[in-house]
Amino acid sequence: MAGNFWQSSHCQQWLLDRQDVLRERGNDLKNLSEEDYQKLMVFFANYIQAIGEGLKVRQQVIATATVYFKRFYARKSLKCIDPFLLAPTCVFLASKVEEFGMMSTTKLTGTLANLLKTRYPYAPQEPIRVNQILEAEFFLLEMMDCCLIVYHPYRPLTQFLHDLAHSKEIKDENLSSLAWKICNDSLRTDVSLLYPPYQIALACLHIASVMIGRDLKNWFAELSVDMEKVFEVMQYILSLYRLWKNFDEKEQVPLLLQKIGKPSLGPSLMDVNSCLL
Amino acid sequence: MTSDGKADKSKGRYEKIKHLGEGQFANVYKAKDTLKNEIVAIKKIKIGSRAEAKDGVNRTALREIKLLQELHHDNIIGLLDVIGHKTNIQLVFDFMETDLEHVVKDDGIILMPGHIKNMTLQMVLGLEYLHLHWILHRDLKPNNLLMNDRGRIKLADFGLARFFGSPNHTYTHQVVTRWYRAPELLLGARYYGTGVDIWAIGCIIAELLLRVAIFRGESDLDQLVKICQVLGTPTDNEWPGMSKLPDYVGVKPMPGMPLKHVFTAAGDDLIQFLASCLAYDPMKRYTCTEALKSAYFIREPYPCEDSELPLPGKRTVAQKRRRDEREDRSPPLMRKRLAF
Repeated sequence: MAGNFWQSSHCQQWLLDRQDVLRERGNDLKNLSEEDYQKLMVFFANYIQAIGEGLKVRQQVIATATVYFKRFYARKSLKCIDPFLLAPTCVFLASKVEEFGMMSTTKLTGTLANLLKTRYPYAPQEPIRVNQILEAEFFLLEMMDCCLIVYHPYRPLTQFLHDLAHSKEIKDENLSSLAWKICNDSLRTDVSLLYPPYQIALACLHIASVMIGRDLKNWFAELSVDMEKVFEVMQYILSLYRLWKNFDEKEQVPLLLQKIGKPSLGPSLMDVNSCLL
Repeated sequence: MTSDGKADKSKGRYEKIKHLGEGQFANVYKAKDTLKNEIVAIKKIKIGSRAEAKDGVNRTALREIKLLQELHHDNIIGLLDVIGHKTNIQLVFDFMETDLEHVVKDDGIILMPGHIKNMTLQMVLGLEYLHLHWILHRDLKPNNLLMNDRGRIKLADFGLARFFGSPNHTYTHQVVTRWYRAPELLLGARYYGTGVDIWAIGCIIAELLLRVAIFRGESDLDQLVKICQVLGTPTDNEWPGMSKLPDYVGVKPMPGMPLKHVFTAAGDDLIQFLASCLAYDPMKRYTCTEALKSAYFIREPYPCEDSELPLPGKRTVAQKRRRDEREDRSPPLMRKRLAF
């Protein structure tokens, strides 16, 4: 996404403070451990990815949808709107914002029903209705203060790779594709709520370089960025990988869902309003 | 929803005053913001057909929300708030007294060179900001250029606006109201850039001078003919790549006329400015930044103060005096028509 990040709503309103995020999450953490919460976020990021792939949208739409999802629950409890409803809503809104042609709501609900039956038999199978998505879309828009443009680490990453190729003559397909994959994975952590995209891109690049044994020390040394921040992002991503390794969705998700209790699925207006206020 | 947090939720913050107009997608109302005691404009998006209602928040509205939420400039309309319930959405904007279409059509208004320079400057400043953020407006025309009672001009209606510069995107050429549509769009270009907005600016300045739209085509093809009648039929030399555009049609060679004869009241630097906005080859057209550095803005007469700009129906004292004088003598030559 083009534009000016430094003057964007993303930079000015949606780079949150870690303490604030944890405080807002307090309600959910009464029933869930921090690790449980992270696992659910990983699960729903995967779920959004699956919806996006089912609808054949671009990765950009999936990434934006995932950030919307995180922004919503950064302000609200998981009990407020059923994440199984909010996830497709995020994909729906992101597809419009990212100008991804027309997405028919019928196709969306069809894809969802099919996906739940075939890939997520352990998830609640209540069908999602179109008007539920339309109502949830409005709440999502409101909860995000209408800030719709999201900056992702992909563009800065491409620029860094370009610079590496030119200044150090390091051009390594493996490095590029691995860093890109780590960027995708970083959507499963809180970093998109906490750090600007260029720091996330650098962290992904750093991890990738270590993983394939490419020494980029000199290049990093010449950057004038706050490496402390980059290391913080790396910590988030590395702990994601530790968590993910022992996370069997099929086995653990039903238990986790039980723990959050039954959220309101159909945002009957009254319920959600009281919860949103 | 945007700024004032919870207070916005209280019902009845906005009191409707009157209906201002109806567009393709929306109705616009003048209203009073009782919280801030300000007059605002509320754009109520039409719900449309049942099929459209199924698409959720209207795309055009969403485009305006998403872009205006990121744009903050004195020459760009301010989105103050977003209100509504369910899928019925309303956008709250700065209230603007009038638009340039009304100014152009008001016979009682005389536009002096200083007025036109001020208006051009404000338009180009707003557009430069937009282009520096990689956004194309794609629907510039006099009635999308709003003016408030202090003479501040703001670009409005971002329902067609888009990011540009992404090489893997093709764009529709069915944008911009026909009379302001650049030749590359008329020839079906799917890749285009800031030039389409600059062309429209050129047409709008021409309209301020002539007090009537310069190229009034009755169909897309006729639009091209109307352009060629004034500017001459472009040659491959003048516009390389023209004949490779998807909907290319050859227009019979016409010599065109010197801009000096079309705009008799305009000075050389303005003629040169217009020529650079209305260059056939989009690559040779001005960018906003180039336009702002042109001789036109450096030389006298300097742009007037915003407060000196004429408003339809409400003229400043100075203008009223000028008008009285005009009625005594024969009408000045400001109001010209193009004869084709």
